[in-house]
Parts: sequence; structure tokens; C-alpha cells
Amino acid sequence: MPAVQETIDRVRKIDVDQYKYGFETTIETDKAPKGLSEDIIRFISEKKNEPEWMLEWRLEAYRRWLTLEEPTWARVEYPKIDFQDLHYYAAPKNQSGPRSLDEVDPELLKVYEKLGIPLKEQEILAGVQKEKAPIDGLSDEDASDNVYKSGRVAVDAVFDSVSVVTTFKEELAKAGVIFCSISEAIREHPELVKKYLGSVVPTSDNFYATLNSAVFTDGSFVFVPKGVRCPMELSTYFRINEKNTGQFERTLIIAEEGAYVSYLEGCTAPQRDENQLHAAVVELVALDDAEIKYSTVQNWYPGDAQGKGGIYNFVTKRGDCRGHRSKISWTQVETGSAITWKYPSCILRGDESQGNFYSIAVSNGYQQIDSGTKMIHLGKNTRSRIISKGIAAGFSQNTYRGQVSAHRKATNARNFTNCDSLLIGDQCGAHTVPYMEAKNSTAKFEHEATTSKISEDQKFYVMQRGIPEEEAIALIVNGFVKDVIQELPMEFAVEAQKLIGISLEGSVG
Amino acid sequence: MNAHVQPQLTQAETALIDAFGERQSLLPGDGEVMVRRDNAVEALKAGLPTKRIESWHYTNLRTLLPAVPGFDASANAKAIAPVIEGSTVVSVLNGASTTKFPTVEGVSFARLSDKLTDGSFAPALDLYGADDAIGALNTAFVADGVFVDIADGIELEKPIELQNVQAGGQSHVRLPVRVGKGAKATIVEHQTGEGAALTSSISQLTLDEGAEVTWLIVQEQPETASHLAQFKAWLGKDAKLTLFFINAGGKLVRQEVVVATKGEGADFKLRGVNLLAGDTHTDVTMVLDHAVPHTTSTEVIRNVVTGKARGVFQGRINVHQYAQKTDAKMACNTLLLSDDGEFSTKPELEIFADDVQCGHGATVTEIDHGHLFYLMARGIDEKTARGLLVKAFVAEVIEELEDEQIVETLEGKLDDWFATHG
Repeated sequence: MPAVQETIDRVRKIDVDQYKYGFETTIETDKAPKGLSEDIIRFISEKKNEPEWMLEWRLEAYRRWLTLEEPTWARVEYPKIDFQDLHYYAAPKNQSGPRSLDEVDPELLKVYEKLGIPLKEQEILAGVQKEKAPIDGLSDEDASDNVYKSGRVAVDAVFDSVSVVTTFKEELAKAGVIFCSISEAIREHPELVKKYLGSVVPTSDNFYATLNSAVFTDGSFVFVPKGVRCPMELSTYFRINEKNTGQFERTLIIAEEGAYVSYLEGCTAPQRDENQLHAAVVELVALDDAEIKYSTVQNWYPGDAQGKGGIYNFVTKRGDCRGHRSKISWTQVETGSAITWKYPSCILRGDESQGNFYSIAVSNGYQQIDSGTKMIHLGKNTRSRIISKGIAAGFSQNTYRGQVSAHRKATNARNFTNCDSLLIGDQCGAHTVPYMEAKNSTAKFEHEATTSKISEDQKFYVMQRGIPEEEAIALIVNGFVKDVIQELPMEFAVEAQKLIGISLEGSVG
Repeated sequence: MNAHVQPQLTQAETALIDAFGERQSLLPGDGEVMVRRDNAVEALKAGLPTKRIESWHYTNLRTLLPAVPGFDASANAKAIAPVIEGSTVVSVLNGASTTKFPTVEGVSFARLSDKLTDGSFAPALDLYGADDAIGALNTAFVADGVFVDIADGIELEKPIELQNVQAGGQSHVRLPVRVGKGAKATIVEHQTGEGAALTSSISQLTLDEGAEVTWLIVQEQPETASHLAQFKAWLGKDAKLTLFFINAGGKLVRQEVVVATKGEGADFKLRGVNLLAGDTHTDVTMVLDHAVPHTTSTEVIRNVVTGKARGVFQGRINVHQYAQKTDAKMACNTLLLSDDGEFSTKPELEIFADDVQCGHGATVTEIDHGHLFYLMARGIDEKTARGLLVKAFVAEVIEELEDEQIVETLEGKLDDWFATHG
């Protein structure tokens, strides 16, 4: 079965020992001493020139964190993390907020060049121009429609603990959109930050979110005012470089009434034997008629073939559909990290609000993924859709864990969930743990899940229509992930395809 | 929030621990049996499970069972007519087995108390996991029950009904059944009673090679009783088990189904109906282990929720690493007819083998308006139309049992329920 073989090869290509972003850059950094204490938090806050209220907020979170215990319910196993053995702050030297690209350390620019991230404005994302081959399922015209007309993407580049540069700021400002690092937002737009920070993921939310609230160092801030359609894709690129550091970024996106924004997030880290911790918090707020599209291509270093090293990715992501008819979509492609613990969720508070979750999680080597979503239906006539595709290979464990609930007053809540798993090899595991909770008789929930390798029936069905075996298999495997790939913005679809490439070649010819 | 605090024991927990101290000397069996009882009580001392224990996520026994009735020797339960006419009846009344067993060729009956006294039943008292609270409660207090052995090659013509009737008080019963090679039988487990009783009942079924069994659990406890039950089965090579349950009563009900396929070619079929009304809580939790290659299973659960009833279905299918060619399918469909009712479901798949077909589906909805319109357009009033649709929804599962007498009897049970709760 050549096409299946191709899929296997493709997955192997993204196997742990093939990690191509594993290079390390020597850049002089400013680091906080190892360990976590109130002094360290004061140190971080001071480094960031933060106002007093922010420091208080952090300290309160830290004090609460001390009373919490690490959660153990996820299907992941790892040695206990020594939270005192980490640097909670690491920043490239001489980076006290460059105003233009020319001021940025050329070493840093090289890093981003190597990663293929355009930091120079007006530059078109490499992937879009070079990859002329149509994405499967989209005709050429569709594809060109989808590409953002100018082909431009505003980028916020976060290196270890600080945001190095944010591009297209001025042009975005003309449209009224604020796109900057969260540290800058705390200084420049305290009223917005005060109003929204922690309003979706409170400091008391969970162990890692609370830790993040105490020590977060940077991240992106997006504010799209009333009625504005953000003129370009926004994107943040996270890179962990320094040894023994933890990255704790915080992202806050607010779309006011009728606003629209599409945001992309990417991440990589060097190849190291030690495990590194990444505990981020992302909060999305959508007011009346607003729409936020949040896409992630997560490609942290997954550890080597023996399961040594890799990033522990413990992330809390939550979107609040606060307004009526608001809409939040999460799309994620998970290929990296030694351990992923991540449940991007939607709180459907506004009437007729809508939440979507599209995910492809590929695990290989000794990776462990426990990921899924929560759809909390609170408003009337709310809808949600969950499409999750897990592909497990090697010795990995891949778990989907999701919750859908309709509260007493959430009349006419609708949910459709589909989670499929594909297993490659007999040493890996795929698991599905969906929770469905209906407290309202007008709720309509549907859930379906399958785990299999390609069935003879499906193959027969396609083949008896005159399609040769190889193509038939390619078609089926391709169809397996298509639902999700389609949801990615064009720029990322290209990158995601390169990353996963699950037999897509076979089907496009 | 994640801090572990050892809470004070509830009234129910204290009462159970005290009761054990008092009854210890009255319970049959010592040595190995007593060791297991002691371990079980230790488990109870850690408290009844709360929603922090994953398998009890939706059934917080600590709050749902705040107090328990005492043991009541004077409780007076009487044997009742069998569910299926003409069945061979063996009853356990107020936790004590009958001493007069019927004579059926190839079938031997024995009191469980004798097997506890001579210690031969001790290994079967082992818990199946750290969260086996029903097993622990039952093991600590089990005093009697009925042991049934069906010899190799025997094909029973009449069903055997194992009756467990409890009138108030507390009882802890075990119903172990072994079915020999190639034997065929239909067994009815009838759980009922009156008053505010607490019963725990564990059925343990072993199917030898090629055995075929249809097992019906008919649970009709009064809306004042708490009923904690477990059905455990081990399926040998080419064995076939069809398990059907109907829950139509009880204030607090937890029915666990723990099945393992131990031999290739084994087939398990689970069909269940939960008819939930009043201010009650009913939880059906299934753990199915496909431990060897080439085994199949299908599960279909239908739930009707009315009043303030809360329903739970948790189903976990484990496919072990070498259990290639497993074919497992599970569906759980719920009609939620009341805004005060709720239903939670957690259908899990845990898969370690790659050449398998596993799927599950779950839905929660109200009655389809299209269907309702179809019937009403034909002159049927809304109430009747709704009744028809709800009944059809559950009857579909019952009809799969094929045996005409059983189907008719169970449909009769449905009609009874709808007559009082429809």
C-alpha cells in the first residue's frame, strides 16, 4: 500500500529526530536568577516597567499558586517539575524595546530568517508565493481569493521572555487596531488591559494559568475596535532559545462590536536534552457580532527518538463569546512538544453565539498529547462544532478530551462533535474522552468518534468507482484531515501542510 | 482547588463503618474472606467516592448518599411472580437466599453463605480497581446470595430468575453464575422491593467456551430506595453474551457493567433502557475490556428523562495492545423531555491496537418535531403522538432481543412505566 506508506513516511518526516528548528542561537541574554519567589516577580515586573497594580495582580496570583497542587487527571506522564530550577525571565541583551528593525540585534534577525518568519514589512510570506500548488479541496480561484489580497501578515516576534519586534504597527494603528506586546499594552493601554485581563481566565483558574498570571513575561495584545475588520492577518511567533528557562506568555485579544480579526500563532524551540516548560494563557473576548479566528501551528521541540528532552506545553486557552451573535474559532495543528496539555475552549455566553474547534494532533516518538476543547453553552440559540483528528504513531499517546455542556437556560443549544483517530503502528495509543452534559430539553448534542486504520469498506467504495487503489487510499487519508486544514488561514494552511503533509501529495498528484 | 483535604466522614460513612464493627462476628467466612472484608472496610474509611474520582464524576456518592438505613432483621420481603412467566425462580429475600432450591437438570444451586463460610468464594471478592466502591461496600457486608452452575452442554428451556427483593433496611448480595462449555441459558436478574432500602448486588458471570447467555436485568426499586449494582462477566472463547437492562425505578441507582473478553471469537452485546422520572439519579457505567484479538461488541443505550431526573451513562471501551481485529461499537441516545431533568454522558475509547474498528456515538435531543408533525397531521393528538414516539424510541432496543415472550414482557414493563409517568 504505497500511499499508506507515504503517510507513514510523512509522519516519520516530522518524527522527533527530524526536527528542523532545533538549532540554537548564541545571543547574550539578561536572565533572572533561577527560582520563583515574590522577589523574582518584583524583578520581572520592574524589568517590564509595570505599574503598581500589575505587580499586585501578579503577587496575588503567586500567593494563590502556592496553595495549589499540580493537576494529575490528564493522560500524560512526566517526572515532577522542579519549579525552583527554572529561569523565569530571559531576554536578549540590549533589547529595551527597539523602535525599528534596524535596532534589532542582527543575530536575532538571522534566527527569524532561518525560521522563515518575515520580520521586514512589505515582505510577502515565503510560503504563499513559492507554494503555487493548490491546496487540496480548493481550486486555484478559491485559493487566490483566500490569500489575503496584499499577502501581508503583521508579526509579533517573542524571543524567550520578550517581544523583539512587532511589524505593521503603524498601518494597523491607522485602522484603529492595536497590535503590540502585552508589556507595552500594560504601559500604554492600562485601561483596556485592566478591563479584560483575567476576565476570561481568572488568576484562580488552574495551576498553570495561575503560575502564568504570576510570572508571565510577554505575549501579544490585540484590540480591534467597534466595526473594524482588521486589514491583515496578525501573527505571533514564539521561540524559546535560552536553556533552563520557562516561557510564560500571555495573549489577550479583544474584538469589539462587529469587529473581525484572524490571528495566527507559531512556535519552535532548540533541541535540548532537558525538558523545558511552556505555560501560556490566551484569552479571547468577542463582543456583539464580533468574530475571532485563532489558529495555531504548534511545533515545539518534541524530544528525541528516545523521548529525551522536549517542551512541556501546558496551555490554557479560552474564548469568551460575550456578545450576541459573536463567533470564536480555534484551529490548531499540533505536531510538537513532548507533552501537550491544552484545551482551547469557548464560553458561549451571548445569545446566538458560535464556537468552533478544529484540531489535528499528530504524535510520534514518545510524545504525549492530551488535548481537546470545552464548549460551554450559556446563551440561547448557541451553536458549537468540534472536529478533532488525532494521528498517533511510534510510542506516542494521543488523547482527545472534550466537554460540551448546556446549562438550564441555554435553550436550543446545538453541538456537533466528531473526533477521529488514526493509529500507525501497534505501540501507540489513541483515546477519546468526551463529556456531554445536557440540562435543557431543547439542547441537541451529537457526538461521534471512531478509531481505525483505513477500512476495506471505504477503500472498496472508492475503488469500485474506478479509482485505483493507491489513489483511493490517498483520497481517504487526505479526507481524514481536510476538515481541519480547510479552516486554517491560507498562509498557515501552507505551513501546516508542509508540516503534516499527510499524503496530501498523493492526492494532488 | 487541587488541595487534598481529608473531609470529615459523613453520616452514611460513619454508619457503615460502625455497622461493620457490630456485624463483623455475624458475617459468614473467616481467614481469606475476612482479610478481604477488612481491606474493603479500609477502603470505605477513605470515604465514599466523590466527583474527584473520575469514574464517579457524575455520581457524587458522598452527597447523593448522605445517610443509610440500618440493618433491619425484621424486614419482611416476599417472593414475587417472575418477570417472564414460567421461569424457574430462585429468590433472595432481605439479603438471605432461599434454602429450597428448584430441581433443574444440569443446574446446581448453592447458598453463597456456605461458599463464604468454607472460604472457596474468597478470590471472587477481589475488587477490580481502586475506584470500585460498590465492590468494597458489598465485600465488607455480603452475607448471602445464590451460586448457580450450569453444566457443560446444557440448553435450558426455561429462563432462570434470580430475584433480589428487599423491604427496607440494608442488604448486600452476590449472584455468581458459571455457564459451562457450549451451554445455553436465559437468566433474569430481578431487583425490586419496597421502602427506603439500601441494596448492593453483584452478579458475576463466567462463560466457558462457546456458551451462550441472554441476561436480563430488570430493576424496579421504589423511588425511595438506593440501589448499587454491579454486573461482571468474563467471556471465554467463542462465548456469546447478550446483556439487557431496564432501569425503571430507584432514588439513587448505579449500575456498573464490567465485561472482559478473555477468549478469541467472544461476542458481547449490551442493550439498555433507562426510564427516568421523579427526583432521582441513575448512573450506568460500563467498562469493557477487549483483551484478546478477534472479539466483537456492540452497545446501545436508550434513555428517557422526565421530571427532575438526572441520568448518567459512562462507557469505556479498552482495546488492549494485542487485541487486533477488535470490532467495538457503542451508541447512547437520550430523549431529554424535561427542562428540570439532565443527562450526562461520557463514552470513552482507549485504544492500544492499530488494526481495529472502534466507534461511538452519543446524542441528546428532544422529540423530533418533524416526526411529531407527521403523526399529528394524521389526526393523532399531541400527547398520544409524543407517547408513541417515545415508546418507539426505546422499544427499538427491546425488539432486538428476538425472543417473542421476552419482548412482549418487556414491552409490558414499558407500558406500565408510561402509564404512571407518561
